[in-house]
Amino acid sequence: MQISTHDLKAKIIESLKLQDITPEQIDDDAPLFGTGLGLDSIDALELVVLLEKDYGIVIKDIEEGRPAFRSVKTLAEFIAAKRPQ
Amino acid sequence: MVRSSLAMNKKIVIAAASVVTEADLASARLGQRFGRLDLQSRLALLAVAALKIDFATLPADRIGICLAASAGSLTTDFNFWNGRGGVGGPSPTQFAYTLPSAAVGEIAIHFGLTGPNLCFVGDDKNLLPEAADWIRSDKVGGCLCVFCEVVSSEIAKIISAPAAPTACALFIRSAEAVQGLLELREFDRDMKALCALISQTKSAG
Repeated sequence: MQISTHDLKAKIIESLKLQDITPEQIDDDAPLFGTGLGLDSIDALELVVLLEKDYGIVIKDIEEGRPAFRSVKTLAEFIAAKRPQ
Repeated sequence: MVRSSLAMNKKIVIAAASVVTEADLASARLGQRFGRLDLQSRLALLAVAALKIDFATLPADRIGICLAASAGSLTTDFNFWNGRGGVGGPSPTQFAYTLPSAAVGEIAIHFGLTGPNLCFVGDDKNLLPEAADWIRSDKVGGCLCVFCEVVSSEIAKIISAPAAPTACALFIRSAEAVQGLLELREFDRDMKALCALISQTKSAG
């Protein structure tokens, strides 16, 4: 099932308590970490919690999650593929 | 010997003072990541920002930070503990703030300060003497002194204390002459009273 990137961005903003930024201002392909949205390692952990809370996806291996956390687009694709039916 | 007599003659002035409350946070704009900070760090950062000091014009490694947190990180500890039963566990972000000194780090990062820092858990009585000592011994040229009283309503019920999260900040520095500023006296200990006095004087002026 497809995941709306707009909804995912809204969840990221809410979960990470980002201020002065709207979903529209986040590029689907922009890197989440470092440049782009500028998230850090604590945010990565918070995103792992978000995936479990909101989508029922448990990341047990960091290597599994690493490619998913490249951008909003890759994260949405990961959720769509892993989300329990 | 020459240096110590110079240090003894050095005047220490209060260059700026501020007091902020939880109500002030609603309109605070201190960057995209301000919202993720815990209450104590947000109040401490806002109190320092309210001093309106242009730190970019000062040598970063010559500015110290002394902070006292009256209740340590109790409010954040409590919130973190309460999150343990939820799906996914407690918030990793909150975990980062379960140290009373986290606010010192946030101030240093936000303003790019690299001087010495110190965090007391408890009252403000040792803050100003310690900061003044740093200046007298030439460890720093100026020091941010921040006192946080952060007790959430949940904690207030447990410890029977008023829930009124506040932070006050003073920037003290060495000076050849007082030049219209308030001189820090040897017996000045009460941060809150000094901040309130200076704020009153400012608004009266």
